[in-house]
Order: sequence, then structure tokens, then C-alpha cells
Amino acid sequence: MSKAENYAVLGRNFDRFEGHDKVTGSAAYVADVFLPGMLTGRILRSPLPHARIRNIDTSRAEKLRGVKAVVTAEDTIKKGWGVFFPDQYPLSVGKARYVGEEVAAVAAIDRDTAEEALELIDVDWEELPAVFDAAEAMEPDAPLIHEEKENNIALTIDVVRGDIDAAFKDSDLVVEDTFESVPQWHSAIETIGSVADYSANGKYTVYMNTQTLFMARMRLATALGVREADVRVIQTAVGGGFGGKSCDDNNAMVAAILARKARRPVKIINTREEEFLAGSRPRVNMKVWVRMGFKSDGRIRAKHMRIIADNGAYSGKAPAITGVAALRHDTCYKYSDVRSEAYLVYTNKIPTGAFRGFGNPSAEFSVEQMMDIAADELGMDPFEMARLNAAEEGYVSPHGNRVISCELRQCIDRTERMIGWKEKRAERKPNRGLGMGCTVHVSGKRHFGDYDGSSATIKMNEDGKAFILSGEGETGQGHWTAMCQIAAEELGVPFSDVAISEADTDLTTFCLGNYASRLTYVAGNAVKNAATAVKEILHETAAEMLECDPGDLVSRDGFIFVKGAEQRSISVADVVRGRQFRRGGAPVVASGSFDADSVSQDALRYGNESGAYNFGAQAAEVEVDPDTGHVKVIQYAVASDCGTVIYPIGAEGQVEGSIAQGLGYALIEGIRMEEGRPVNPNFSDYRLASMRDMPDLVHEFADSYEPTGPFGAKGLGELGMDPVAAIISNAIYDAVGVRIRTLPITAEKVLRALQEKKKNGG
Amino acid sequence: MKRELVLNVNGEEHDIEIEPNRLLLEALREDVGLTGTKEGCSIGVCGACSVIVDGRLVSACLTLAAACEGKKIETIEGLAQDGELHPLQRAFVQYGGFQCGICTPGQIMAAKALLDHNPNPTADQVKEWMSANLCRCTGYYKILESVMAVVEGKVDEGGQGEAVREARIQSLYKSDTYKSDASD
Repeated sequence: MSKAENYAVLGRNFDRFEGHDKVTGSAAYVADVFLPGMLTGRILRSPLPHARIRNIDTSRAEKLRGVKAVVTAEDTIKKGWGVFFPDQYPLSVGKARYVGEEVAAVAAIDRDTAEEALELIDVDWEELPAVFDAAEAMEPDAPLIHEEKENNIALTIDVVRGDIDAAFKDSDLVVEDTFESVPQWHSAIETIGSVADYSANGKYTVYMNTQTLFMARMRLATALGVREADVRVIQTAVGGGFGGKSCDDNNAMVAAILARKARRPVKIINTREEEFLAGSRPRVNMKVWVRMGFKSDGRIRAKHMRIIADNGAYSGKAPAITGVAALRHDTCYKYSDVRSEAYLVYTNKIPTGAFRGFGNPSAEFSVEQMMDIAADELGMDPFEMARLNAAEEGYVSPHGNRVISCELRQCIDRTERMIGWKEKRAERKPNRGLGMGCTVHVSGKRHFGDYDGSSATIKMNEDGKAFILSGEGETGQGHWTAMCQIAAEELGVPFSDVAISEADTDLTTFCLGNYASRLTYVAGNAVKNAATAVKEILHETAAEMLECDPGDLVSRDGFIFVKGAEQRSISVADVVRGRQFRRGGAPVVASGSFDADSVSQDALRYGNESGAYNFGAQAAEVEVDPDTGHVKVIQYAVASDCGTVIYPIGAEGQVEGSIAQGLGYALIEGIRMEEGRPVNPNFSDYRLASMRDMPDLVHEFADSYEPTGPFGAKGLGELGMDPVAAIISNAIYDAVGVRIRTLPITAEKVLRALQEKKKNGG
Repeated sequence: MKRELVLNVNGEEHDIEIEPNRLLLEALREDVGLTGTKEGCSIGVCGACSVIVDGRLVSACLTLAAACEGKKIETIEGLAQDGELHPLQRAFVQYGGFQCGICTPGQIMAAKALLDHNPNPTADQVKEWMSANLCRCTGYYKILESVMAVVEGKVDEGGQGEAVREARIQSLYKSDTYKSDASD
């Protein structure tokens, strides 16, 4: 059922839909949008982590020749916006809460003029005490960042399932430890940017490199105080998203406010430094204490987690991310009794937010190390322990997540074989070690309103080519190609006979966009449903033309045949023309919708959060240099259960990219902050892995079929990222006997731990 | 104060007027109108703005436009000839050497600079050379595969590359391997 060869189009690689544009330099990214009369916008940012604004004097800037608009909060409706808590403003109202916050902005005829004007804006600051550490911010005497938020706590979670005290008493082994992650920047090679235009009849048109078009529109409408239909958002080519372009930042808001005042289009492209200061919202850093109880045979009996998550100065998606960190991993293994406490705390730093994994990497960095620690204590093989506890078909997590398809055990088996676990363990080499871990992710999540769906429209051209109208948008993962494949498969036309629209809020139906590994599963189902509806129309007309019953028709390779009498056929193009060009003619067009069978979590955070769950196992072999602490990843193995693979190159690319980002998170990526100010906001100091840093990577997809997915497919995009850091840490422990509990695992930390171990006679 | 400048880009002369402190990146994108060269880090470490000037790979974000007068500038827009993709471009499409595509013009120009000087580099030489071009999407595996496909003459000139694809599908599922293991 899951075999690719059963399909005409699925499971095959085609030239990526937008591929030729991208390799020839003709794909238009937001920086490539030039409108007549367009101005350059630049933003004045807070130089202080926490400060009251006594006064802003913009008069000198306004007088500079070439300046067309200067704006402050006085040019806004001063209405807070934010997906969960409306605590952020496009431009500071009253005070600034982090270094980099947008305070004022200028639109001018060129960048030099705009930058000169910024220097002519006089802000009278009153510096306030600031707090940078989430745990310190919870102390009673900590300065309050939002006056109404007691102890700076944005959100508290305390979920108890089962009888946690009895479960720990019933455990044969109890282990506990604390792990700490750091913010990770998306570091998309393209920074966030926008071009905003404001027309005389009061409509905003905003070109954005966003992942989430309609949510961008919703937030723009809220912050600008207009109706949603008064804002048109058009997605340009997007130069990397990973969550960072899901619109929790102010770039487009400010561009729109400037455009309205200047009555000319305004372009604002973040500099790389701005991207680190106030652009993409970095991964939520968390301190995670976890205690786990096990039976002597290795079965998990109880788990208790306490998370302190750093929200930064404003709440973007961190409230949802904290919820995921607290609960998601309980879908990976079979749990009965768990307690999860979490505190999301404001600090005077850049707001944190969505990054591939969405809280899961911090949780897995702790839990997947606890599994390793417990296996070690029990003298068990970690793969055996994972197999014993692995979720399976029909499992319902303590929080209500219902697992339909699950090939986690198959992934564990494949990973064990690919990394050569048994062989390498039998013949151990000095300073080499192996580590493994498992992971789970969703295929869409019911976060935003009681809707976890998608919709698409397909219209047929008179040449027989299908055109998909979808507002989900492409951010580089290959979504467009996968959607064209799904439509082609369902319609029975060649891949080359399907095209897909750019995302544009005025021209497509409502779509949630790129997050939560949702597109293949959720949008794929919507596209498939639209294709089914179109096929019905085609068959209806074809039946008239072929004088047969519509139920007797099949579509293949762009033709519609009568079953059993295949010489009786007609091309799709002829059918489309036949329906259009006749008295009472009509176009062949239909829409499809899909809303996943998930539910919004209740007040106690119970509820099946996604329509399908994807699973994976991974393992690493590392070599540690005992003299320097340097960790070299020798080999990395990944097995992923994403159901049917629709677009193999795209799917492989998601795995490969996830592992690269995961290894960066594990080993090298971190930023030094001094008084809330990043001291290395550039790619020279915030180092990304390069080609020579990548280990040998082997990966496979499980034979798997998700009954609720389009042709059996489910999500994949984030899965690979989640467990990497824990697995590297487990492998380092296996190699040299030291465990690193804070990210990133730098050579310095490993070396210090080795020296400590030596001192203690280890 | 703007000055007149002639830039030879992809074999064509462009007369532009530009401030002397302007970068080649800005001149190409804003004055010549070729936006295929991208800005990534602005400090010459990410390689997104890589172009070839008189046969040498340079970062257009660190190079003054005025310093390129009288030199031959090659950008991504010059690679495809008469609508036919350059073998490197075909290889990147065929082997999935890009996702979001923002670093891709720089990756392809860097690879071209390497192959212009050394048509037969080893995989290690490619890795070393291409390590000056950052990519956040791919993990580099498919970029390496794409470049090596050109080196090894494995770029399928025949369109969809059915054979390559079949091999990929086989290696992806490896079902038999798995089943023989499971039956043990």
C-alpha cells in the first residue's frame, strides 16, 4: 500500500516547480521587489534593555532633505497585537523592553538619507532596571517588564495525569537531572523584509517573505486598525523560514505605517544585525528539570518535568511552544502517570518564538538524555529500552493525542542497523561513542482558533492543464512540487500538466501557512479533495461526450477512459473545452477543504492536538579528542516515519536540513549576551555549520501509511531536528563518560568536564 | 557625488552612474538591474553574493563597484545560454541542490569558479572550496551531490532523469533490506 511504484506521480522526483527560477537567479525575493517611487525605510531601535520614553523629538529628522516620513507610536493606534497575548506594539508605546525594539522609523529616498535621519531623532530615555534571566525574573523583587504581569510570568502550566506520587513509589529506579538550552537563531540566509504600499482608497498591499500569509494579514489588520480585506499580503519567494518568518516581528507593520504616512511604497529589509536584534524570534531557551521513574525491566513508570522558559520581552508563539515542550514528547513513548509544570517568563531580551521543533528540541534534549541515563543505570541497551517503551498504533497519550499510524519500532530497528550499533559496540574504539534517541512530531496542530485545516481551488485551463490556487505558500521545502504531485495523481494527469499559484490573500481562500509540519498532510488533503471534485466534473462532462456512465470512467496520463473499453477515450483538454465552449458553458473549477480530526486542548490541556503523528529514531557515532574536548561526528543515522513519501528529494532535503540545524544547535550555535545585548550579531561570530562540517549521514524512510493522510502521507519537516542535541550528548557520554547538560556542547565544556572527571578520579 | 562607470557584466557593457562608495552588489542589483546576486551577511562570510570578476570568485558585498571597471564580471544571469541551463544549474535542479534558493546563485557561481580552474576536483576539494558558501536549508549534502554530478559527468541532459530517480526510490525505501532483518 505504501509502495511508491503503485502511483503514477507520487514518490517520484520531478524538476522542482520553481526550480528553474531559483537556479537562474530570476526568482523574485522581497529584496528584489522594486515599485515606482519606492522609498527605503529604516528603523530606530532601543539602545537600552528597559527604558521609559520621556519624549521623542523627530523635528530635525523631518527637515532633512530626502526624508518623506518619520513615524513614532503617535502615528499608530497604539493597540497591542500578538497571536496569544496582545502585548506588543509596532512602535514602542511608553517604554522599550529590549535592545533592538522598534521606537521610530524613517522613510527616505535612499538608505544613506534614511540612516542620517535616524541619527537626527532625539529620544529622551529614562533607564529602568532590567532582568535577563528567566529564573531571576520570577523573584519577588525583580523589575516588572509588563506591569500587569505578576512576577513577570506570562503563562503557567501544571498538568497532572494519573497518580504521580504512587507511580514514583512503584518505580524501581528514579533518576533526575536538569538541562538547559539556549536561544537559536533561524539564520535564514535571507533576512526578514517587506515592501508596503498604501493606495488612495485606503488599501494596504504588502509584499512579504512570510511563511504565514493570512496570519500576517490578521496581525497587520489588528495593529493598523483596519479590516482584514483592507490589507492584501502577497508572498514573494522566501529565502528560508524555519519558523522565523511566521510574523511575530514588526518589520511589515512599520513599513505599512511609513507607507501610509509617506503615501509612497516603502521597503524595509532587515540588516543581518537587525535580524539578530529584533528580527526572527529565536528558539525559546528553557531550563528543564526532569525526574523519571522506571521499572527494573526498563518500562517508563512516571515522569515529572518542571520547565522555566524564557519568553523575552513580548509573547509571540512562546506560550504554545512552552505547551509543546511540556506535553508533546509524551506521545513518543507509552506513559501513564506524568506531571508537567512550566513557567513562561518575561525577560528584557528579544522575544523568543517559533523555530523548527517548536519546544520539542528542548524537551527532547532532557528526556532523551534521561532515557540514556536510565538505560545505563539499569544496564540495558538503549535501543532495547526504546523498543520496549515505543508508542504504537492505537496509543493514546496521557494528554489525549491519538496515534493512528506509527512505525516507531521500525525506525528504531532501521537506525540500529544503519549506525552499526551491535557491531560497533562489540568492537569499541577509544574515545569513540554511540548515542541514540527517538522523536515524535505532529502533522499540523490545532492552535489558532478551532481550525486545523486548509483549502484549495483547482481550475482547469482550456489546454487541459490544472492550476491550483492555494494561499499556503512555498518557503523552500518543496511544498509547491508536492501539491502539484498530489493533484496530478488524483486528477490522472502528468506532473507537467499541473501548476500552482503564488500565495496572495486577495486571490486565494484562507490558509494557515507553513508551520507545525502541516502542509503535506493538511494542505495535501485539501488539494486532493479539490482534485477529486474537479475530476468528478470532468467525468460528468466526459460521460456526456463519450455517452457512458460517469462511474465507468478512469483518468490516466491526461486522458479519460471508459473502463474495460479503453479505446473509448478523450483528452482532459477536450473535456474542458467541451464543457466551456457550448451554450450554457461553464469553467471546470472546484474547491476542496480539509479540517483535521483534531480538537482544541481543553482548559486542562487535554485533547488530540493533531490529525496524525510522525515518528523517528536517530543515532550518532562521535569521536572526542581528550586533549581538546573537540567533538567530531563520524556518522549520523536517521529513520523517519512520515507515511508515504510524496516528493523524495524534498523529503530527503527536510531530513538533511533538520540534522544540519540540529547539529548546529547541539555543538556550535550560541550567542553571547551582555546586559541583554547580543555581542556577536553576525555570521562571523554566530557560526553556522559549513559543508566540510557535515558528517556522513545515512537515512531511510519507514514503510508506512497514514490512513487519514493524502495517499498515506504525513508530516516530516521538524521531526529530524528534535532529538539531535540529546543524541550527540548521549554519544559523548558513551565515548568519554562525561555528560554535558547545557547547550551548545562546546569543546571547552567537554574539556572542563573531562578535567573534572580526572580530578575526581574518574 | 555620482560618477559614470562602465561595468562589463556577462559580456555586456552597462553604463551606470554611481556614488564611488557603492558596492558591486548594489551596482548589480540596483543600477544594472540584475537581482540574481543576493545579499546574505553583508560582511563577506556567507557567500550569497558570490560573483566571478576576471576569473576570481569575490564577495560582491565587499567589492567596490568602481574597482570593477574594465574587468569581466560574471553573475548567475550569465550562465544559461539561449534558454539552456548550464550543467551546474541542471545538476542543482536534478539533484535537489537547493531549497529556498537564496544562497543558490552564490553556490553555483562558487562551484563554477572552482570548476573553471579545476574541472576534476575530488569531493574533499569541493567540500573545502564550497565551505565558504553557507546554506541553512539543505545540510549541504545535495549541493555536494550536484557539484560532483557535474565533475563526474552524471548530469542527465535528458530532462527528467528517470534512471536517477528510479535508483533513488529504490535506495529510499530499501524495503527488502529491512524485511530480511526483521525476519531474523
